[in-house]
Amino acid sequence: MKSPFFLILIITLIIASIGILSIYSSTYQKEGKLWQVIYQRQIFWVILGLALFLIMSNFNYRRLWDLTFFLYALALFLLILVFVLGIIRLGAQRWLRLGWFNFQPSELTKLVMVIFLARYFSRQSVDSFSMLVNNSGISRSLILPFIFTAIPMVLIMEQPDLGSAATILFILIAMLYLCGVRLRYIIITLLVGILSLPILWHFLRDYQKERLTVFLNPNIDPLGAGYTIIQAKIAIGSGGLFGKGWLSGTQSQLHFLPESHTDFIFATFAEEWGFLGSVALLLLYYFLIRQGIAISQRTSDHFGKSLALGISVMLGIQIFINIAMNMGLAPVVGLPLPLMSYGGSSILVTFISLGILANIDKTRNVF
Amino acid sequence: MRIKILSFILASILLLLILGILNLNVFQGSKYRGLSKKNYVRLLPQIGARGRILDRNNNIIADNKLCYDVMILPRETSEADKVLMNISRILGRDFGELKDIFKKGYIAPFAPIAIAQNIDVAEAIALEELKFGLSGIVIQPRPVRRYPYGSLACHALGYLSEIDRWRLTKLEDYGYKTKDIVGFGGVEEKYDYYLRQEEGGLSVEVDHRGKLMSVLALRPPQSGKDIELTLDLKAQQIVEQNLVDRNGSVIIMDPYTGEIIAMASFPNFNPAVFVDKSKFSIGNLFDNSEAPFINRAITGVYPAGSVFKLIVAAAGLETGKINTVKTFLCPGSTKIGNMEFACWDTHGPQNLFAAITHSCNVFFYRSGLLIGAQAIHDYALKFGLSKPTGINLPYEASGFVPSPLWKRIYRFKNWFDGDTANLSIGQGDLLVTPIQMIRMTAVFANRGSLVTPYIIKAIDGQDISLAQQKSLNLHFNLSTIDYIRQAMRNAVQGLGGTAHVLSIPDVSVAGKTGTVQVPRGQPHAWFVGFFPYKKPRFVICVFLEHGGSGQASCLLAKQIIEIMVKEGLI
Repeated sequence: MKSPFFLILIITLIIASIGILSIYSSTYQKEGKLWQVIYQRQIFWVILGLALFLIMSNFNYRRLWDLTFFLYALALFLLILVFVLGIIRLGAQRWLRLGWFNFQPSELTKLVMVIFLARYFSRQSVDSFSMLVNNSGISRSLILPFIFTAIPMVLIMEQPDLGSAATILFILIAMLYLCGVRLRYIIITLLVGILSLPILWHFLRDYQKERLTVFLNPNIDPLGAGYTIIQAKIAIGSGGLFGKGWLSGTQSQLHFLPESHTDFIFATFAEEWGFLGSVALLLLYYFLIRQGIAISQRTSDHFGKSLALGISVMLGIQIFINIAMNMGLAPVVGLPLPLMSYGGSSILVTFISLGILANIDKTRNVF
Repeated sequence: MRIKILSFILASILLLLILGILNLNVFQGSKYRGLSKKNYVRLLPQIGARGRILDRNNNIIADNKLCYDVMILPRETSEADKVLMNISRILGRDFGELKDIFKKGYIAPFAPIAIAQNIDVAEAIALEELKFGLSGIVIQPRPVRRYPYGSLACHALGYLSEIDRWRLTKLEDYGYKTKDIVGFGGVEEKYDYYLRQEEGGLSVEVDHRGKLMSVLALRPPQSGKDIELTLDLKAQQIVEQNLVDRNGSVIIMDPYTGEIIAMASFPNFNPAVFVDKSKFSIGNLFDNSEAPFINRAITGVYPAGSVFKLIVAAAGLETGKINTVKTFLCPGSTKIGNMEFACWDTHGPQNLFAAITHSCNVFFYRSGLLIGAQAIHDYALKFGLSKPTGINLPYEASGFVPSPLWKRIYRFKNWFDGDTANLSIGQGDLLVTPIQMIRMTAVFANRGSLVTPYIIKAIDGQDISLAQQKSLNLHFNLSTIDYIRQAMRNAVQGLGGTAHVLSIPDVSVAGKTGTVQVPRGQPHAWFVGFFPYKKPRFVICVFLEHGGSGQASCLLAKQIIEIMVKEGLI
């Protein structure tokens, strides 16, 4: 029973359950029918996600190789569709209405980019061990992937969704590194990136600039942009060793903490479960990602290896940015905490990713 | 290799995050717990009401009403000018003036600024309605003193004001704080500890909008204890209505218990001016040369005048230096030493009875010399002079009775017979308060007991008269007392009696007048007496500063007694 499949499944379910408990805790006191059913919806998403996980774990990941360009085109199409039909919420145009479900294409795009880059950097042949990029030039190993990544990234930044865009950028850098692109290329990329920061600054929206400056000093505007950071830090800090107890977190229950069921669910959780609970949660995430890396190491298939790494990195980056943002260690960019935050798109994409991961492991066993 | 580095980065990130949480949670935990508490816990102070002051029949003399203060929370107002403009329109106050107050009162964005105090209910409601359009206005109700009878019994009550430095140092240990409202003078000061309310508070949980979610803890405010006075509202009103516009004091007391039925002093003040300082100027009151804040009944010291003759008479009879048949001839004046001492009339032969009736000075000069200054001094002290009577009001004066020894020690002079003569008619260095005089009179009314006057009947419904000092039997011969009583009655009843105007059909009054010669202006006028004669129920003391002769006091006493009869108080 100690198979990676079950480990992934169990850890995932535990984290998702913790997420549902925290969502319930942060919303049950809010007025309005909509708030009361949010945790039920999350349960629905988790069940649906579980189904997708099981489906994907039985869906041979190698078929994704063939689907890569279709998926990439689909993601771009959906991202463009967002600009045409997308609904505006919280000042951003990120969602597509699918019946009663608001779908967030940028979530899907992250996974698609992982698949795309994994395929790009691997060879089709199972026998070929050496990676192509090892010996290839700068345009093949750096410029082309950068352009392919930049297209959806720019679209996502324009929504605007800085968090997802940053995640994709980090995925690119990580994939470049992990797929064996020459280090100097990566360093060049990073240097260019850092040097272009002042230019990029001008392309940011006012609220994004505000968030970044406020991140450096939340007290600039304690009731405005810095409010969320301060309240999140208060929530985490006031939890103490054992926390205030489930349903007893004052910061989230009394709505001092905004977005307490989505982006700032970690603060909600930390307030009620304290230091020990938070560390336990971090360890769960850590083991989950370690499983992904372990699967990658055990897989001989080059595409599977890269894909497993990419999925692990994608989850890891999101978890890190989100938790760091909750603790005031990273700027506030709208980014959900995988498996915990309320939101169908994120939950489903995460479960699919984990399903793919499970399948990579399973397929390896078949070989 | 690169995967190993990835694992290493992953572990580092885990460690970093754990350290981050450790830092927030453990190292800065107490700070954030405090901040979290500050977020959701609000303390709402609840102010209790100060104890009421009632008369002996539980009529309210001073109670409390709610008044409203207008405050502005700068944090919640983005447009302070607009808010102030609206407030100035509703309150009818100058906008510039309000703006000044706002600017001067500004401390921090979260500290409310008091813009106006004691506004009407109607104004408060009008401002409350403003709140819908303009945020940041707070209307705070606050109980303040209400005096339904205005200045009635103001000296017995005292007034309320912000604690001063002197009182604060004295009372700090009893939990008084700066800005506390405390009593000044009268019962308000003396019994402040009982009257004062205890602040309570409500600790509530609020959400991010400050909406009340639940009550965490409640300490109910403790209202002050009610104090019941011995004053009779009706008698007090009668006394004040008749004394009005004259400087002086009237006291009515129960001769057996010492209960003060009425106590008035003029000029007086309206304690309500301290409730709303903005509407009246208090400075005038303090600068007033007539000293309206002085309770002349207990703090005013004056020569006793002929009223003192009652003590001399008692001393003479008790020491046996004179008896009831001893007669002196009054030719209008008498020579003592080198000095001519005048009487106010030519009375002819006078015994003690006639001398009290006519208030003959010559008789008392002569008797005084027989009795001796020391004996008169000693008897004056027996009657409670030269020390406070012990009435439960603050700032009572002791008065003064001179003696030969005192004169030698403090004035470096010998005591002359002239001094004895002056003392015998209550002039010279002798100083008494009206409350001492009424207490002395009560000895004759109740046949020989020195009572301790008091004005507090009950605190919080608890009768404290038992805790009062018992009346002291002076062990005079009853014949002495009765003889002087009869003479006092005769002063009213007898045709030549100095208080003959008081001879009214409804009630038999006995009394003694006094006229005090003063260096400048009209003489002071005294009248002390008791009624009904047979079974006295009231002792009265009327004192008029520069009121003319004792006759003026008699007339005032007559008015008061007649109205009391009419009102059925007797």
